[in-house]
Amino acid sequence: MNQEGVTRRRIRFIFMVMGTAVAALVVQLIRVQFGPYAPVFAARAEYGASQVEKVVPARGQIYDRKGTLLASNASMFYLEVEVRQLTEESKRQIPLTLSKLLVLPLEDLYTQVTTDWAAMGQYRIRLTRKDAEGGPWPLTVDKTVAEVLNGFLADPEAPDLSGLDLVSAPKRTYPAGTVAGHVLGFVNQEGQGFYGVEGYYDEWLAGKPITFHRASIPIEAELEPDPPAGVNLVLTIDLAVQQMVETALKEAIESSLAESGQVIVMDPRNGEILAMAAWPVLDPNHYEPWLPDKTADGEGNPVITPGVAGTYEPGSTFKVLTMAAALDLDRVKPETEFIDTGQIEVGGHTIRNWDGRSWGQQTMIGCLEHSLNVCLAWIGSDRLGATDLYAYLGRFGVGSLTGVDLAGEVSGELRTPRDPDWTEPDLGTNSFGQGVAVTPIQLLTAVSAIANHGDMVQPHIVRQVVGPQGAYWPQTTVIGRPISRQTADTLTDMLAKSLEGETRYASVTGYRLAGKTGTAQIATEKGYDPKWTVASFVGWGPLPDPQFMVLVRIDKPATSPWGSVIAAPVFQEIAERLVVMLGIPPNADSAQLAVNG
Amino acid sequence: MVREGSGVRAKRTHAARQAAWRLQVRWTGKTMLLAIVFLVVSGVYLAVNARLARAGREVLTLEDRRSELLRVTSELGSELATRTAPETMLARAGVLGFHPAGPDDVVFLTIDDYIPPAEFVAPRPSAADDDGQAMLSPAYTETLGDWLMRWIGSSESAS
Repeated sequence: MNQEGVTRRRIRFIFMVMGTAVAALVVQLIRVQFGPYAPVFAARAEYGASQVEKVVPARGQIYDRKGTLLASNASMFYLEVEVRQLTEESKRQIPLTLSKLLVLPLEDLYTQVTTDWAAMGQYRIRLTRKDAEGGPWPLTVDKTVAEVLNGFLADPEAPDLSGLDLVSAPKRTYPAGTVAGHVLGFVNQEGQGFYGVEGYYDEWLAGKPITFHRASIPIEAELEPDPPAGVNLVLTIDLAVQQMVETALKEAIESSLAESGQVIVMDPRNGEILAMAAWPVLDPNHYEPWLPDKTADGEGNPVITPGVAGTYEPGSTFKVLTMAAALDLDRVKPETEFIDTGQIEVGGHTIRNWDGRSWGQQTMIGCLEHSLNVCLAWIGSDRLGATDLYAYLGRFGVGSLTGVDLAGEVSGELRTPRDPDWTEPDLGTNSFGQGVAVTPIQLLTAVSAIANHGDMVQPHIVRQVVGPQGAYWPQTTVIGRPISRQTADTLTDMLAKSLEGETRYASVTGYRLAGKTGTAQIATEKGYDPKWTVASFVGWGPLPDPQFMVLVRIDKPATSPWGSVIAAPVFQEIAERLVVMLGIPPNADSAQLAVNG
Repeated sequence: MVREGSGVRAKRTHAARQAAWRLQVRWTGKTMLLAIVFLVVSGVYLAVNARLARAGREVLTLEDRRSELLRVTSELGSELATRTAPETMLARAGVLGFHPAGPDDVVFLTIDDYIPPAEFVAPRPSAADDDGQAMLSPAYTETLGDWLMRWIGSSESAS
């Protein structure tokens, strides 16, 4: 065999080997790409060459009705320690620096940093501080402190903070501070909304986070997917009115040495809540003491959003509902006379007036003006009877949720003859607001039927919902017509007259207002508290077409127990400012303006 | 009769016998050609991937920048709201000698053709963008098969 033949055979052999190898590779490629295990290979490739990322959309912002920002988003930074990167020096410097910078106990930080976390299988820890009850609470810093710490980490001359890491996270901020805190609720560090608007609209505000695989080997040019963003909300609240009401409430609480209180301002024509104030205030920027696990079983802890979640016995403000029922059924008229002997017996239980006196001959207007328990108990038990009284109270929504769009609403309590624990004396006491529990928003909603010519509107706090697709305006919802227009207007007129006679503390020059005071005892497990009362007032105006309603509730005032002394002046102060802020001219001026217009 | 093809093959065989190096050069040339084609394809592939990775990194940087700008915008909005909060403004107004107006301080006038200010409408949040990837050139995302299909499709539509 010559040399040429050998060379040719060798070349052929090499080509055969290479051809076989290429063929095997092609077969394997086809098998990997299209064979039965192709999905497994694809998944492995994806797992190894990409990482899962979660994109959380920005939480929707909340505005007041004029566009003032009430809730927005900012950043905070968790302080974490990668324990494997700690040095002996940084174990000393991290606690020392943080202790000085954040004014925290050195020992606690030192213990956290020097604990042998690795032995427990933990290699990254989040530093904590002690909360008010001594429990651990994640330690966070704001942007300014984070910049200082990052400066230290970058500077070789600065204290050795090796192992310290700042992890950015979104944070909810409330620029108005405590103003409208009870209305807004708050958002915790995990981004979950609690109470108020934040709790009720949590899912809408939060949007929908999405997860996706980002290719890292090799890096691919792909845009981060845009998750569906949370909606922006515009509230019915007017921040200026809210601020004014909160100031009035605070001054009233301080001057009367009361324990707590609430004020709600609502437009009776459409149910828009213009202000909802509560004392003690809630600062949503520092919500820690208000978290559910810290308030749920705490005896005596203040209720969050008490305007919808805090029940009380309404006392005399409830009398307007009993009177409305009797007028609507034509069982009494404004001029119907009643001889008040100072006491009445209903179901074997003797009911007396608030002052124990007998007031003699009175009309129904006089009964309201002097807030006579005996008269109203007579109307409830003699003129109406249990069937009609409770039917009307049901129509007014007493004992039912109003459906207001705030988290935590409770329904109050009304025993009716259907309940096993109802007794006949309840008929008499319920008639003047005792033995029944309502929330402020519930009473205001019920009374809105009287102020709004018979139509009871659903209270609401959100005026506008703006999503990516556009804006949605919730419509006014009439949830009932418990009484006729004529009854409502007659009762409003009676209450205006009785108010003019009852208390001078609730009048505003140039405006005709209607309203009713209330002084209720506080029920305890051992009967009614002999010392403390709830002083309240519910009023509306200007007549004849009211544009605002105000409910004032002051709990446990020390200087005087009476609604006419404690709550009515708050109504007056608020009404005086409201007519200016809402641009409502006085009655004489409005008539003149109507002529001119 | 001898066919032309058989004659050429016979001439080549004869030439190969005369000078074996000619055949080796031919084979070497073919192999080199294949190698060069392979290297060119590999080079193009690497260049494309490098460009892709660079673009990917740039996208990441821009996304981070966008997030940062959104965060800063939000924080500035909050700061502005904090500085104009009613409590702060009331305090400033008080210092300037103003006081809250009561009914006696206000005079109501009829103004013909008065147009009240428009009601506030909140800004729309950003929509989920399903077509976001369309902002990127297909060169960054399509495979060779995709490119071929697109090229064939565009050729057909052009004809």
